[in-house]
Amino acid sequence: MMKALGSSRLSRRRFLIASASLGVGTIAAPYVARADDPTLRITGWGGKWGEVMKAEIGPAFESEFKCKLQIDSAFPYLPKLQASSRSAPIYDVLHTNSNEQWAAAEMGLVEPKIDPNLVPNLADVYPYAVSDKIVGVSIFTSAIGLGLRTDKGYGPITSWKELWDAKYNGVRGGYVIPVNSLGQAFLMMCGTLFGKGQTDLDAAYAALEKLKPIKIVDFTGAMEKMLLSGEVSLCVIHDSGIYRYDGQNQPTDFVSPSEGVLSLEQVLTITPGSKMKELANAYVNYMLRPEVQKRLAETVWYSPANKKVKLDAKYDAKLLTTPEKVSKLIQVDWKWYNERKDEIDQRVNRIFRA
Amino acid sequence: MSSVASQRPNGLALFILPGALLFASFFFLPIGLMALMSVLTGNPVVMPKVSFTTRHYARMIGDPYYLEVIWTTIRIGLVTTLVALLIGYPLAHWMARIKSRTGHALLLMAVLAPMLTGIVVRTFAWMTLLSDKGVVNQTLMSLGLIAQPLKLMYTETGIVVGLVHIYVPFMVLTLTGVIGRIDERLEQAAENLGASPLRAFLEVTLPLSLPGILAGSLLVFALAISAYVTPILLGGFQIMTLPILIYQQISANFNVGFAAALGIVLLVISLLLVIAYNRALGLVSGQRELQ
Repeated sequence: MMKALGSSRLSRRRFLIASASLGVGTIAAPYVARADDPTLRITGWGGKWGEVMKAEIGPAFESEFKCKLQIDSAFPYLPKLQASSRSAPIYDVLHTNSNEQWAAAEMGLVEPKIDPNLVPNLADVYPYAVSDKIVGVSIFTSAIGLGLRTDKGYGPITSWKELWDAKYNGVRGGYVIPVNSLGQAFLMMCGTLFGKGQTDLDAAYAALEKLKPIKIVDFTGAMEKMLLSGEVSLCVIHDSGIYRYDGQNQPTDFVSPSEGVLSLEQVLTITPGSKMKELANAYVNYMLRPEVQKRLAETVWYSPANKKVKLDAKYDAKLLTTPEKVSKLIQVDWKWYNERKDEIDQRVNRIFRA
Repeated sequence: MSSVASQRPNGLALFILPGALLFASFFFLPIGLMALMSVLTGNPVVMPKVSFTTRHYARMIGDPYYLEVIWTTIRIGLVTTLVALLIGYPLAHWMARIKSRTGHALLLMAVLAPMLTGIVVRTFAWMTLLSDKGVVNQTLMSLGLIAQPLKLMYTETGIVVGLVHIYVPFMVLTLTGVIGRIDERLEQAAENLGASPLRAFLEVTLPLSLPGILAGSLLVFALAISAYVTPILLGGFQIMTLPILIYQQISANFNVGFAAALGIVLLVISLLLVIAYNRALGLVSGQRELQ
């Protein structure tokens, strides 16, 4: 009896073993418990988008659909998808901008359309989200227009053409066209502004020549920083890149030019070789739900694609939330653009070299 | 007994085997694949019909833009190497000849300290100095010396400044070892025979330190022509170099074949440089067998 009692005493060694086991068990428990859960591999942005996806939207989806969501936010996504096997692609759902989605569709890496029978919320989206200019479905859009420093006394801006005004020499901002969606969309806008239309490349090249001197960056985050620091005073930018600093008293504003704003779509597509088709369609449908759209729109200042979304007044006033506002959007023919991308890249690289 | 001994695996070979396998897996295999991709019409793993082609190389030769990019890359590499040598040689000479141990340690720390910070951070530091609203321009403007900001960024000069800052330690450390092994008494003998200190340096120390100059230059040049972060941040995509073009082809044009061909060209430039280095080293040191 005494021996039995004695053997049950807590020695230091037993305490350490028990503590270690408990620790390992605690850390491993969620993984062990969910080891059999199916995994949906998707792509997604970092920053505020990544934060809210990780903290709220992603876990809610995992809980509802009893699965794991594996999000790759290390851009660029398409080369990785391109390198993976068609029958076992690295992603089930590809989230990226429309120009890359078109390139992916052309290479057969994503399915060109989403089946409305499998994604019921597709019935509630604005026509632009599933137009012939879109592969898959656009779940959000931003408006590409002009970003302006309001503290430099430049006065009101109404037209894209004011970007060519000599007073902005040295403080004008644009993008590295070969690698940036906004830059590519803007090139097409140049064709519309100074030529016969989006596809008038000669007019666009001539207009770009006249934009120099211009400071160019490769991604919009860098342009936001340049505008905030005063390195540029007038630049091409999307509305989210200005509105996300709302409430910080920054001397910047977004201008919707009278000629219209370009559409920067956030597009979802499903890969043909995905083994998680049902879950992938469920994810697309989930991202189009009004409550999910509202939460994300009010976090990152993207205009929701679902017509039924009711945003708070502050967001509703600025984002594209009515058919009238959405009608201002100009969509780019990315299929046409991608077919000529090499030729365009060579030309613009020459135009903007120092 | 002797036959048993001959069948026993060589201990040294077994020791080298893991390293050799690692080297083959992570060096020869990727480069071999890159060379293969550069002459194929697509990726054979994921595409059904793939054939051999020379179109990627023909595109490079046929368009003078790519030749300009190659020349820009080489020019930046050469200027960076030259400036790094001009800054690094006196510093390395000082480090090699300083008598004080503390002084040597302080100099070594000064050379190594920048290497403790990441390249991205150091390049961003240069951006805060060289941009239009940066320290240099703001200071000059506040002093009334200039009315408009000087164009310090988005130029080849800006890139060279950033690269030199990053690669000078490589030059200094390579040179210090070589200069340190040169017998000081040779210089003293030259001076005793009537040579001025400058002539003694030019005719004794400098020729003897040539292997170090060549080795350091080779290292800095190879690093400079393959640099990506600094040219992209300080050049703002307005100065196109081969590494930037390769990244652009993979990330935005999804043209792996052309990117591979560009990569092979970059590799060939580096290899030619190594061969030229070996020849030059053989000539200056009189050790023909090095070739």
